[in-house]
Amino acid sequence: MSFFKRGLLSITRRPGKSIILLAVLFILGNVIAGAISITQATSNVESTIKDRLGSAATIELDYEQLDKMEESELMNFEMQPLKLDLIEEIGQLSYVKYYDFNTMLYLGSKEVNAYYGEDTEVDFAVEENEEYISTDFQFKGINYAPVVDFEEGKGKLVDGRVFTEDEIKNGTPVAIISSKIAELNSVHVGDTISFINSVYSFNEETGEESVDNSREVPIEIIGIFEPQKVNTDTENNEEFNWMDIDYQNTVYVSNELVAAETKHSMGEMAGEYEEYYVPIFVLKQPEDAQAFEEEVNPLLPELYVVRHASDAYDSIAKPIESMSTLSKYVLIVSIATTILIIGLVVLLFLRDRKHELGIYLSLGESRGKVIGQIMTEVLIVSIIGMTLSLFTGNLLAQSVSDKMIESNNEQTTDEMFYYSELQTDLTTDDVLAAYEVNLSTEFILLFYGVGIATILLSTLIPLIYIMRLNPKKIMM
Amino acid sequence: MILEAKNLNYYYQDGESRRYILKDTSVSFEQGKFYTILGQSGSGKTTLLSLLSAMDKPHSGEVLFHEKNLIEIGYDSYRKNKIGIIFQNYNLIPTFTAVENVLIAMSITENDIPKDQKTVAYNLLDYIGISQEKANRTVNKLSGGEQQRVAIARALSTNVELILADEPTGNLDEEMEQEIIDIFKKLAHEHNKCVIMVTHSNDIALQSDEVLYLKKGVLNKHE
Ligand SMILES: Nc1ncnc2c1ncn2[C@@H]1O[C@H](COP(=O)(O)OP(=O)(O)OP(=O)(O)O)[C@@H](O)[C@H]1O
Ligand SMILES: [Mg+2]
Repeated sequence: MSFFKRGLLSITRRPGKSIILLAVLFILGNVIAGAISITQATSNVESTIKDRLGSAATIELDYEQLDKMEESELMNFEMQPLKLDLIEEIGQLSYVKYYDFNTMLYLGSKEVNAYYGEDTEVDFAVEENEEYISTDFQFKGINYAPVVDFEEGKGKLVDGRVFTEDEIKNGTPVAIISSKIAELNSVHVGDTISFINSVYSFNEETGEESVDNSREVPIEIIGIFEPQKVNTDTENNEEFNWMDIDYQNTVYVSNELVAAETKHSMGEMAGEYEEYYVPIFVLKQPEDAQAFEEEVNPLLPELYVVRHASDAYDSIAKPIESMSTLSKYVLIVSIATTILIIGLVVLLFLRDRKHELGIYLSLGESRGKVIGQIMTEVLIVSIIGMTLSLFTGNLLAQSVSDKMIESNNEQTTDEMFYYSELQTDLTTDDVLAAYEVNLSTEFILLFYGVGIATILLSTLIPLIYIMRLNPKKIMM
Repeated sequence: MILEAKNLNYYYQDGESRRYILKDTSVSFEQGKFYTILGQSGSGKTTLLSLLSAMDKPHSGEVLFHEKNLIEIGYDSYRKNKIGIIFQNYNLIPTFTAVENVLIAMSITENDIPKDQKTVAYNLLDYIGISQEKANRTVNKLSGGEQQRVAIARALSTNVELILADEPTGNLDEEMEQEIIDIFKKLAHEHNKCVIMVTHSNDIALQSDEVLYLKKGVLNKHE
C-alpha cells in the first residue's frame, strides 16, 4: 500500500475531518477565485481597451503644468511652437511606424450645408445676412498622404482615393469629406465645392465686425470617408454626438492648403504667420510607449509633454481601476489567510494523528514519504474544494463586480476629459461593456496554479512538525 | 551471531550530572532462539530495546547486525528491512483494517515478498489466529489480544529474521499471554527467527531459551 493509496484511504476513512477541511478550503477558494476572476477581467479590459485606443502619441503643452503656474510666471513664459525639424526628427525614431503633423482651419460655404446631428435638419447655411457665413467646416491639414485617421481606423475611405504625395507637397486644392456631408449635399467624388475664406475687420468705433475681403476656395472632392464608430449606442450621450458632428464636418486637405488660406485670412498680418503643427506619431507597438517617451522627452521645448492615446484609459476606466486595486488586495490577503488557516488546520489534524505518523516512522518509512502522504491528502481535498469554488467563486465575482461597477459608475459619470488630438470616442460605457467575468481556460489555470501554490506553502508548517517527530517518544 | 551490542552507554542529563541507564553493556543474540529480558520497572529495558531496534541511538558503543554497524545499514533501512517490532500498546493504525495494517508494513519494506501481498497477509493473519472476517475489520473493532496478533503478523510480514517485543503481553490476560508466547517459541524454534522479548513476568522468562537480567545499567545472563 503506497503512501499515495494510504493518503486516499485516509481521506475516506476520516470523512468528518475531510469535510471540515473541504469546507474551509471551499470558503477560502471562493474568495481567491472571486479575486482572481475580477483581477483577470480587469486586466483583460485594460488590454482590449488599450488596444482599441491604439498606439498613437502626440506632443502637446502640459496643461496641468500651465494650470499650476502663477500668473506672473505665465506672463513671462514665452511659448515656443513645436518646430517642424523636431517633429521630423522624432518621426525618424525607430519606435515610430509613421507620423503626421496637422494644422487646422475653419471655413464656411454657401454651396454645401454642414451636418448638425440627426435631428437637426435646419438650413443654417443660407442665412438672412448674405455676408456672414458660419464657419462650420473644420479643415484638417495633413502631411501623411494615406491619412493617419484612416490607417488608425478613426475613419474609413468609402469612395474615391486618398492624397498623392504631389498633392500634399503642392497644396493642390483637393479634399476628402465625410459621407454625411456628401449625402446631405449630393456631392460625389470628382465634384468641386466652393468654400468661403473671409477676412474680417473690426471697427473700433461701432464695435462691429465686417467682412473685409473674402475669397472663394474651390476644392475638388477626391474621396469620401465614413467615421468608424466603435460605440454603437449613441443615444443618451450628448458629448458623443458632438464629437460625431465635429468629425462629420471635417475636411481633409494638405497642410499647404491650410497654410495658404490661413495667411489669406490674416490679411495684413500675414507676414507674422507662423506654422503651428500638432504632431501625431503612430508607434509600431503599444508597449514601446514608455521607451518612446523617454527618448523624446529630452528633445522637447519647455512645458511640452508626450501624450499617448492609451492615457485616456485611466480617465475612462476609473470604476474598473478601483475594482482592480481592491481585488488585488483581496487576493493577497486571502492567499495569506489561506496559508495560515490551512496550515493550522492541517497541523491540528496531524497532532491528532501523531500516533499514526509515529507508526510509519517506526516501520522505517522515510519522512519524505510520510510528508508525501500528507501532501496527497491535503492536495486531493484541496483540488476538490477548489474545483467546487471555481464555479461559485466565478459567479460570486460576477455579482460582486456588477454591484461594484454600478455604485462606482454612479460616482464618476460626470467626469470630463479634456480635449486633445488623441481624443477618443471610447467612454466609460465601452470600458464597462468590455468588462466581463468569465470562466476562461486562462482563469482556470491561473486559479489552480495560485491555489496549489498556496496549499503547498500552507503545508510548510505541518511539514516542519513531521520533520521533528520522534517515533521513540510516541511509541515506546 | 545475528545481533550484538558492544559497550552501550545511555544516560539522561540530570542537571550537571549524568544518570546512566545503560553503562558499558554488551550482549549478543543468536538466530533460532527466544530471549527474554527481565528487570525492575525503570531499569532501562525499553531503553535497551530502543537501541537494539534503532529507534534511538546510544551515546557511545555500537549495535551490530550480522557484524554490520546499524549506522552503516541505516536506521530507517534497518527498521524496514531487518527487524519487526512489537509494542506493549500494539501501535496499529486505528483507521485501517487489520489486513491493511499488515499491507502497510509490506509496502514499506524493500525485502523480497511475494507479489500477491493481500493473500500473503490474510494467510499470515490466519496463521497467527486472525480469521479473514476479523482481518477486514478496522483494528479498533478487535480485542487487545487480537490487536497484538495483528501487530505480530505485521512484524513477520516483511520476512525478517529478528523480532523485538517490548512487553507484548502486558495488557493481555494469562490465557492470551500464553498463546502469544507459544507463537514466539514457534517462530524461534520452527522458523529460525531470533525473538527478543522484554517482560516483567518470571514465569514467561522461564519459558525462554535464555533470560537476561538488567540491573544497574548492566545486562547479565540469568541462570
Ligand atoms: N525523557 C526522559 N528523561 C529522563 N529520564 C527518563 C526519560 N525517559 C525515561 N527516563 C528514565 O529512564 C529510565 C529507564 O526507562 P525505561 O523506559 O527504559 O525503563 P523500563 O525498564 O522499560 O521500565 P518499565 O518496566 O516500567 O517499562 C527510567 O528510570 C525513566 O525514569
Ligand atoms: Mg518499558
